[in-house]
Amino acid sequence: MKNLLKKECRLAALPLTYFFLAFGFMALLPGYPILLTAFFVCLGLFQSFQTAREANDLLYTALLPIRKADAVKGRMLFCAFIELTAFAVSAACTLVRMTALKDAAVYRQNALMNANFVYLGFLLLIYGCFNAVFVRGFFKTGGGLMKPFLTFGVLAFLIVAVGEALHFIPALSAANAFGFDRPGLQVACLAAGAGLFALLTFAAERSAEKAFEKVDL
Amino acid sequence: MSLVTVKDLTKIYPSFTLDSVSFSLEAGRIAGFIGRNGAGKTTTIKAMLNLIHPNAGEISYFGLPLIGNEAAIKQRIGYSTGAVNYYPKKTIREIVDVTKAFYPTWSDADYHTYRELFELEESKRPRELSEGMKVKFNLLLALAHGAEILILDEPTSGLDPFARDELLDVFGELKKRGVAVLFSTHITSDLEKCADDIIFISRGRIVDALPKEAFVEKHARENETLEETILRLEKERKAT
Repeated sequence: MKNLLKKECRLAALPLTYFFLAFGFMALLPGYPILLTAFFVCLGLFQSFQTAREANDLLYTALLPIRKADAVKGRMLFCAFIELTAFAVSAACTLVRMTALKDAAVYRQNALMNANFVYLGFLLLIYGCFNAVFVRGFFKTGGGLMKPFLTFGVLAFLIVAVGEALHFIPALSAANAFGFDRPGLQVACLAAGAGLFALLTFAAERSAEKAFEKVDL
Repeated sequence: MSLVTVKDLTKIYPSFTLDSVSFSLEAGRIAGFIGRNGAGKTTTIKAMLNLIHPNAGEISYFGLPLIGNEAAIKQRIGYSTGAVNYYPKKTIREIVDVTKAFYPTWSDADYHTYRELFELEESKRPRELSEGMKVKFNLLLALAHGAEILILDEPTSGLDPFARDELLDVFGELKKRGVAVLFSTHITSDLEKCADDIIFISRGRIVDALPKEAFVEKHARENETLEETILRLEKERKAT
């Protein structure tokens, strides 16, 4: 697996994908729909998929001394690596907002989603959806890009809309808690996001492996 | 013992069927896989490399079925799927650095020997290589990990006569080392020059798979060259 990840990072990935990790810092932007962080990070991954396809990466990988299905594993590993790195950046920024900048006026007057554990949970949900919809769709079609990405795009924007709208519902206003207020709810949302990310990624990988075995290259 | 056995390989496409293809490859022998464009050579080779999913048939290497032993088998074989442009913007050095980590049997000494023989510069990128040099690059990767079987799809296509001659000489060297070589071609003179066995495919079916001498004895008419024999057999099949 280490060799496959190295191959993905050194041959298949576009440098732009790494630059897009900087979108993780969007968590610090006041008055901005910060859930879009995940969409931009996934857009960076999409660029790598496109470049890799043009470089005949799938064929090259399938010819390496690995199972054909391991090509899926390698790419999924790379996606998870990028997503979790971006998540770590977002998490660090979120912690700064939840502690040192907890009472900053610019964040207190923010009408949009606040950076807290609920936000982090939603980020993981979007990353999980990218793996389940786009990555799985890519391998199922043996390299199809547009349809899976458009489907993911629609889903991602729906999740962003739900995330942004949630705290406007009176019963759910606590979703926009500041600092470590409402810790139970915040941790539960983060745990749910983490669980869904793991579940969606694992299921997508298994399903994509099976589908890719049947694809003619 | 056969190093490779292909038995009743069948792949059905809407407009083409690879129909019960069977043959075997022996150690230290060069098999020329000949047939006109669209006869089923590439489909067969892709199935042998598990790139396509056959409808039926069995493929085994070293007595082991390909399905279930894919990774272990691929460690011991080399391949070139024509002059495919992998990672056109990366340098050869970068591609080799990543690739060799997958092969415990990789030999840097062999790599440098063949790289010098093929006159490949590590700082070049695949997009800067001619078609012939791309084939040589694929071949270089296969040779550097000590493959026991080489499967090459049209390796001589796009090569000038000198490069083709050099490549066929390399096949001869590999044969002496006990390597089994299968190369597809539609150039009959390649067979004349180096093939020990001929596998002739036409319209998705194997017409015959025999040692070259036996093939000539069975199919050639008096004073007919191998090229003339194959052309005539193809025409006869077309007429039926």
